[in-house]
Amino acid sequence: MEDLAEFIIDYAGKMGTEYAEARVQVDLRESLLLKNGVLETYAFEESRGVGIRVLVDGSLGFASTNQLKREEVKRALKQAFKVAKATSGLIKHKICMGKGNLGSDKVIIKPRVSFANVDPEARISLLKETDEEVISSASKFEVKVPARVMTLDTWVTEKLVMTSDGANVYSVTPRVALFTLITLLHPQKGIMQRYIELGESGGWETAEKWNLPKVFHEETSTLAKVLIEATRPPTGEMDVVLGPEIVGITCHESCGHPSEADRILGREAAQAGETFLKSDSIGLRIGSKRVNIVDDPTLKGSFGFYLYDDEGVKAGRRVLIKEGVVNEFLHNRETASVFGIESNSASRAVAYNREPIVRMANTFFLPGDYSEEELFEDVKEGVYMKSFMEWNIDDRRFNQRYVGLEAYKIENGEIKNPIRNPVLEITTTGLWSAVDAAGKDLKFQAAYCGKGDPMQAIPVWTGGPHIRLRKVRIGGRE
Amino acid sequence: MKVEEIPPYIVDLGRKYGATDVAAKIIESQRVMIRFSNNEVTVSKVFREITVDVFLMVEKHRAMTTISTLSTRNIEKSVKNLVKIARMSPPADIYAPLPKGPFRYEPKLLKAPKVPLEPEVLAGYVERAVSTALESGAKKAAGTLSAFRSKMTLATSSEVYASQEGAGLELSIRAFASEIATGHFLSIAGKPEDFNPEEAGRVAGEIAKIADNPAPGEPGKYMALLEPMIFAILANQTGILSSAFLVDAGQSFLVDKIGEEVASKKLTLIDDPTLAGSIGAKAFDDEGVPTKRKAIIENGVLKTYLHNSITARKFGVETTGNAGIIVPIPWNLVIEPGDKSFEDLLSQIDDGIYVTNAWYLRYQNYRTGDFSMLPRDGMFRVKRGEIVSPVRELRISDNMLRVLQNIIDLGRSRTWVKWWEVEVPSLVPHTLISELNFTKPLI
Repeated sequence: MEDLAEFIIDYAGKMGTEYAEARVQVDLRESLLLKNGVLETYAFEESRGVGIRVLVDGSLGFASTNQLKREEVKRALKQAFKVAKATSGLIKHKICMGKGNLGSDKVIIKPRVSFANVDPEARISLLKETDEEVISSASKFEVKVPARVMTLDTWVTEKLVMTSDGANVYSVTPRVALFTLITLLHPQKGIMQRYIELGESGGWETAEKWNLPKVFHEETSTLAKVLIEATRPPTGEMDVVLGPEIVGITCHESCGHPSEADRILGREAAQAGETFLKSDSIGLRIGSKRVNIVDDPTLKGSFGFYLYDDEGVKAGRRVLIKEGVVNEFLHNRETASVFGIESNSASRAVAYNREPIVRMANTFFLPGDYSEEELFEDVKEGVYMKSFMEWNIDDRRFNQRYVGLEAYKIENGEIKNPIRNPVLEITTTGLWSAVDAAGKDLKFQAAYCGKGDPMQAIPVWTGGPHIRLRKVRIGGRE
Repeated sequence: MKVEEIPPYIVDLGRKYGATDVAAKIIESQRVMIRFSNNEVTVSKVFREITVDVFLMVEKHRAMTTISTLSTRNIEKSVKNLVKIARMSPPADIYAPLPKGPFRYEPKLLKAPKVPLEPEVLAGYVERAVSTALESGAKKAAGTLSAFRSKMTLATSSEVYASQEGAGLELSIRAFASEIATGHFLSIAGKPEDFNPEEAGRVAGEIAKIADNPAPGEPGKYMALLEPMIFAILANQTGILSSAFLVDAGQSFLVDKIGEEVASKKLTLIDDPTLAGSIGAKAFDDEGVPTKRKAIIENGVLKTYLHNSITARKFGVETTGNAGIIVPIPWNLVIEPGDKSFEDLLSQIDDGIYVTNAWYLRYQNYRTGDFSMLPRDGMFRVKRGEIVSPVRELRISDNMLRVLQNIIDLGRSRTWVKWWEVEVPSLVPHTLISELNFTKPLI
């Protein structure tokens, strides 16, 4: 890897580029797909190649190839140069790579149990056992599970990032991810569906630690109960307690995305859109004093883990909202240079054939000081939303909707009967301003965040404690 | 070894190691992409790849792999390991041998028109699109221009050995008259003579201009006129979720609905990969089966799911030529046009909403079809057949089956849609829908 990256950087220098970056990346993946208890396929994927970025006359060019002979790599480099040069006439503001704490380091996450030592039978039987648990847990409630899809992926990302201004970071990161969609059916009560996603960085010990049969027993039993017992939700203005799963997605959608500096600059305007925040929004109050949201790639074992970003900048925690006030945006080196600051290491690419862009890693609401009991005890009438299925947000990240799946009525401080699909449809400032308490607990949820063109679905965690919203409007699905 | 010799080599290896069925395809592709925002280019990209996908079965035991290191040694090692893994895997419920060739393919579908990949030419397209957007009243424009060429060679153990080319030009441009007054339009073409970046820029700019100063909309049920860009999202959902794999997985509102009226009689949705020169044209699928034109929904009735040979065997029908080895997929979705002009459709609205684009469709429940999505770009209140004012902040929250059944009428002119939010190329007219439910946040 080192030789190839050095070759690219040297050759790019001879071509007269202002900046060059070589990322040699290999992703080796094993995937199982189980549908309705049947193994549909067992798949291996080898993704191996190089992504090159160059700056020529202030114009940014990117080229990727998976043909790694020197001549092919040289050709890719020349293409990056040529395409940057050809479009330089359509640039009014020259692009620069801003400052950042560039690293020269090796970060190797060693698994306790290597994927290579886990034979296919062990993986298959884990999924089959989980699938059987789903069916048997539901059957105790006379609920059927006519459709189940489960995928289990393990992969190792090995990459070297080298830049012409001195970054040289080699990393190896193993990851495990489980994705499921289950469909519960009761002849009289109807149909309910739930996504369950788990993901961490680490070796096979991670999958073992999850104790999937237990997790799915609990999830399925709860959902079956909700399916059978849920009544129409109360509607109107009331207090709402959100569980960590929903707090996590709100942090991601309504704080993380709006804080991406490339969106602020309009880079994603025709795809995922812009943001209601502006370049000068640092210091703007958008929530109550109880709101503290951070993004932190350095959490050990997290799905969005890294210690150096894909521009070689040393990673650290980003405090996006501090006591309800916009505190920091997410930057790569390009956006940092526009803002006249240093990059805070948010540059990520999902594979060798994608350019690094501004991304979240693990975005979460910092815990407060309330016990779970304290959060609920003075809610006279309200709703507790624990999980969700449907959600979306507008392209300025201001108008969002979360529809509860596992949700309950709260009466006089007590969690009562399940309710069906309460709808929280709210503005971003409305949401964060309504927070009056945050719990001591903290839980994370794995997800793939979609952004970029071509699309890059990148592993992240979202998370937080339970939080309480005062006087927000709850609706119901028709 | 030449690139096109690799698939048959892999098939021979797989058979030698004991596989009953082997399909190997190699794709050589090159794509050039220019992204722009604030009227200037932000990054230009070139992607060049050669990848090999191998699927094999030892009767009911299946495994697949993607290889990018194409040395003989690595290929041999990968195929040997794959057969071993397949043997170790528990059997699937169905064994459907790969379809027996050789087949005859439509020659017009095997060759793709030449599209330009030279960055200077593509930069010229961007410049013209942005200029016309600004001339039409926008203050700034953002978007993506992409051009690609590809060649896929497939070999199977059932006597298939063939190559087909693909090519396309795609421009997506979003124009801003203000921060909240935007218009979005596209030019999607399989051949250069159909590509019109100026038109895309002009339409995006015009929508943005008339969308200026939008007022908050009022929630409620409205008759709605949908532009092709938004109806293409619904067409994509219907086409993709008609995949027999997703139906079997419960990830579809079309489960158990073959032969039923799932939509208004006005709606006919076709998967048509046989349109030579279109961006989704395809001669054969991933099992080597010749593609064909087929109605998924005909006059409102669900006629078929999309199948490969495995799902077809499971459902007791013939393959529809839509492999995806594991998950059947649509190639090129086409909505049959109506006979109305845009003005005719608009004139049918007494009090309604005209929506030009949307994004972020998510389901509460795929089986029931309950979903919501967010209109974006120009959205307008329509009264007594006329556009009266731009509106914003509304969300469409409804049910897919109800929306399809509430189609009242369709336009006669159609637009090709494919962009960041619409995966499968779709040829779609304007669509008039009654009682579409709009909601909004109240704080």
